[in-house]
Amino acid sequence: MDLFSGLIHGFSVALTPMNLLFGFLGAVIGTIIGILPGLGPLGTMALLLSLTYGFDPTAGMILFAGIYFGAMYGGSTTSILLNIPGEAASVVTCIEGYQMARRGRAGAALAVAAIGSFVAGTISLIGLSFLAPTLANAALKFGPPEYLAVALVGLMIMSRLTGGNLLKSLMMIALGLALGTVGMETVAGYMRYTFKQPLLAQGIDFLPVAMGLFGISEVLVTAEEPAGNMQLQKVRFRELWPTLVEWKRSFWPIIRGSFIGFFVGLVPGPSPVIATMVSYSVENKLDKSGEFGKGAIEGVAGPEAANNAAVGGAYVPLMALGIPFTPAMAVVMAVLLIHGITPGPLLMSENPDLFWGVIASMYIGNFMLLVFNLPLVGVFASIIRAPLYLLMPIVLLLCLVGVYSVNNSILDIWLMTGFGLLGYLLRRLRYDLAPLVLALILGPMMERSFREAMMISRGDLSVFVSRPISGTILLVGAIVLVAPLLIAWIKPLISRKA
Amino acid sequence: MKLGSVVFAGLILAVGLVYEIMALNMPRGRLSYPGPGLFPMIIGLFLIATALGCLLQEILPRKKTGEGPSASPLPSQDSAAPEGRNVIKTFQLMALMIGYTLVLKTLGFLISICAFLVVAIRIFGYRRWVPALAMAAVIAGISYVSFVLWLKVPLPLGIFEEILG
Repeated sequence: MDLFSGLIHGFSVALTPMNLLFGFLGAVIGTIIGILPGLGPLGTMALLLSLTYGFDPTAGMILFAGIYFGAMYGGSTTSILLNIPGEAASVVTCIEGYQMARRGRAGAALAVAAIGSFVAGTISLIGLSFLAPTLANAALKFGPPEYLAVALVGLMIMSRLTGGNLLKSLMMIALGLALGTVGMETVAGYMRYTFKQPLLAQGIDFLPVAMGLFGISEVLVTAEEPAGNMQLQKVRFRELWPTLVEWKRSFWPIIRGSFIGFFVGLVPGPSPVIATMVSYSVENKLDKSGEFGKGAIEGVAGPEAANNAAVGGAYVPLMALGIPFTPAMAVVMAVLLIHGITPGPLLMSENPDLFWGVIASMYIGNFMLLVFNLPLVGVFASIIRAPLYLLMPIVLLLCLVGVYSVNNSILDIWLMTGFGLLGYLLRRLRYDLAPLVLALILGPMMERSFREAMMISRGDLSVFVSRPISGTILLVGAIVLVAPLLIAWIKPLISRKA
Repeated sequence: MKLGSVVFAGLILAVGLVYEIMALNMPRGRLSYPGPGLFPMIIGLFLIATALGCLLQEILPRKKTGEGPSASPLPSQDSAAPEGRNVIKTFQLMALMIGYTLVLKTLGFLISICAFLVVAIRIFGYRRWVPALAMAAVIAGISYVSFVLWLKVPLPLGIFEEILG
């Protein structure tokens, strides 16, 4: 199936009433959680993962795509109106967006953010539509050494990009890989680290870990924060249209943000957050008006376009290789796994309904978000007034019921509670949670690839570097890991000589 | 040097050591036919090395450069402790979740979640008992209808099970 016939087929799948409903639901839920500080798209998807068990996998994927895109839209609303970022990818928008709101241009900032998001989302989906099938076809040549190399380098790059301490990120990767070895080993059926508990034989499920680390720990952190006073600015519908000058100033930042976002989205790590930072830095450097920091519309248009485009980019490695590069994509992958579908290069040919249906539904969801986000911006913003004493207990309830419903197991509630506490401690000690979760989900695949590669090569370790694709991938990983250390070492030497 | 970070890195180091000892007791096979213990052995060494590195990083004196090479110019929610942070709520919520899990099988979902919600609503700052009870009962009722009756999630019925036979 070529690109265009694939997309047409995808639209025929996505336009069924049930899939449209799931796309709409995802967009609404995503917008709401994007607005609410504390609960991000990842936590929400982890919460709802267990419910997708009862849905068709395509519907589940469409729901989650809607949530992810919707959160990027919703996050900008409170950033602009209240200076409170609904989620991490909208933090940058606060800087210029809130200043614009203080100057009475909140409507224009919201409109540019929404339209920029739509344009960027569409550009990144075009990129996804072209790149994912091409990469999937190329990946058919991948063998176990290549898969191990991609996963290993992905984790290494993530440990460098999450912005924290390298050693701490590497320790999180090691911990995640170690957790991934718990349970019955697949080749010989050997029990590892189960402590004679039959319930641990199936391994540590990704769901209680993700729900604990992201859902429960978020609630715990939110519970500790002192309640703030919020003053919501009213925006009238007629104020939403930017002036011609504002349009002109926003055009190129949106285009630049779209491309920055898409390409950053392809890289492992918290891509929407990084994309907004890169876009903001670029726009700041290109600025000639001197308005940055005082409410420059370029500082809203670029980052808001970038975070949406990054979502489309992040889907490429998952859909083409079956390897999630962000924790959110790991949750999306879990939707497929719980239905017995293994994403990878064969997904497109074996499950064309799902592959193309999800891509097509993203186009529709993106349009839906624009259409109902702009007129309802005031309604959505008022959601932030929902009292925490009602919202947070409901989130906990969803976690408790959701995690139990997958395996009907009390052990999963214990695991979620334990990982919730661990997630809370890790956040407080400034450890990044993303490498742990990704390593947990990639670990079993890495072990399988390692063992298969060793068997194929009869124990020759050079197989990883002698094969051109895996060798190149590993070289890139080594450069990413070592280059910053070398630069940090050489820089003082050069400056001392100078 | 932060005590919390030192203790945590030390704890992970201990976990790494135990993990490695257990891995060494598993059949490792040959490199051409790896056994179930080979990969965990490599991971265990990696875990020990990184935990040791983190521990030394926390213990050894270093230049005052903050958290190392940070790519983020943004304020982290986990950075400095904000004024008025209420750590007690975390312990209360953890205790509440443990309590819920302990009584779930015996008391059943409806009673357990209702009690859970009343206490959670109060932990999150709502002080009046009767409205809290009413809100909890309504949410618990809706969740019972949605999850147990509609979505057929087999949540434990507890004492109801005996009454219903």
